[in-house]
Amino acid sequence: MDLETVLSRPVQLDRCEGILRGALLTRRAELRKSWRQIVSTECLGALGALAKEIESFLSGQDTFRDWRFAGTFRWMNCGASFTDNLRAIALAHNLEHRPSDAGRDRLCLAKFNKLSRIERMELLYDRYRCPLNIGLSSESDVAEELLRQLMVPDRAKLEAGTEFDAEMVLLKLNLVGLRAMITRDLRYLDALNYFYELPRRSLMRMRSHPRLLSFWLCIYAQLLCTPEW
Amino acid sequence: MRVAVIAGSISGGFRVARKIESLPGVDVFVVACNVGKRRPLLRWSREILSALKSLGWVALASKTYRYAREARLVILHHPLDEATSIDCLRSLQCDIGLHAANVIYREPVISAFRLGILNAHIGILPKYRGRSVAEWSVLQGDPTGVTVFFIDPGIDTGDCLVLREFVPSRGWRSVQALKNMLFRCDARLYRKALEALMSAECSFESNDTAKGRRYYVMSRLLTRAVNQILATTLIAFG
Repeated sequence: MDLETVLSRPVQLDRCEGILRGALLTRRAELRKSWRQIVSTECLGALGALAKEIESFLSGQDTFRDWRFAGTFRWMNCGASFTDNLRAIALAHNLEHRPSDAGRDRLCLAKFNKLSRIERMELLYDRYRCPLNIGLSSESDVAEELLRQLMVPDRAKLEAGTEFDAEMVLLKLNLVGLRAMITRDLRYLDALNYFYELPRRSLMRMRSHPRLLSFWLCIYAQLLCTPEW
Repeated sequence: MRVAVIAGSISGGFRVARKIESLPGVDVFVVACNVGKRRPLLRWSREILSALKSLGWVALASKTYRYAREARLVILHHPLDEATSIDCLRSLQCDIGLHAANVIYREPVISAFRLGILNAHIGILPKYRGRSVAEWSVLQGDPTGVTVFFIDPGIDTGDCLVLREFVPSRGWRSVQALKNMLFRCDARLYRKALEALMSAECSFESNDTAKGRRYYVMSRLLTRAVNQILATTLIAFG
């Protein structure tokens, strides 16, 4: 690299960051107007009392919580269920969590991929009952695998308009979004960008899982207004 | 050294072959693959179209005739990883394959070449593996360029990096223009890589995957942001 390139790099980075921030905020404004095309009225109805909160979160002012500190723990335990914990994070509420000194055994990806669909879902719901754990450095292999699955086979299925496992894809989108929140790795945020940009008809099947669908959009909304990438 | 250009079309193969056939001590073969299992009519229509776009009829016909007469043009009718295609590749007894087709190579195809298959990846390894790496590099303020390395069945994980060349993104107003320029570097850099491999003091750098990340196809949102970065760089630096 020549001297001119080295010297101009911070200037270039500033410019890149400014343009990136502008693009993300523009998308946030777009999401504020268009989320109802993804989450239908029936879908909102199925959310019951949660519907109002989701509606005001997605249509309202930019809100986000900084979860970067969560990446420094060895493991975290939460009392509530996976869904309740995910809801708290998605809506930028406080999450009751207790850091643990003992980490979890690493997940063997070869074994994980051999499990049945139900076993894989159960394993993910159980392991990430405290969903912040997906952001730990010890979980990077699992997170990378989830990102790969989303961006290679799942993306291909959705783009081709073929059958896909809506619950599994939504679960991965939520976990990948959380990983982005904690690690500020742009690749994880861009997976959410990519899925949001898919034709709306591809996302229709996701309406059968209204909670996971709306939590994904709330997490996405938070990521778009997060300032430091 | 016997070298085969593995291309998606005859004209694509000749584009690379033309750059390396003048290297002393190198015998060049062109292997035209049937990418995507196309039907003959579609395959040859595309072949004619790409001939019209690149070398032109006369030059392509004379080159095809010369290569065919010298048994240096191989047209595969089956997918690359089928046994008949692999047998055909082995029979060439080539030392090196040069990747110029839109295919993923499995182990039997790679091992049909004595030293392996070289790939001109349009990103800087080991940091940028996978797809859309030129635009990811621009977005993250890193230098763009091309790395020539011996592939393995993984995604840009082959351990031996033969050479790496930084090619500035400055001066290109869009992602597509930048990528087209980087893709067009392949023939020149394959030549450089072959020269390096034939020299006495050839050494490889290791592709330490722990020092990099795998990237995926970029969203339209970020691609637009990269286009904007390229455009503003063009204005700022003239």
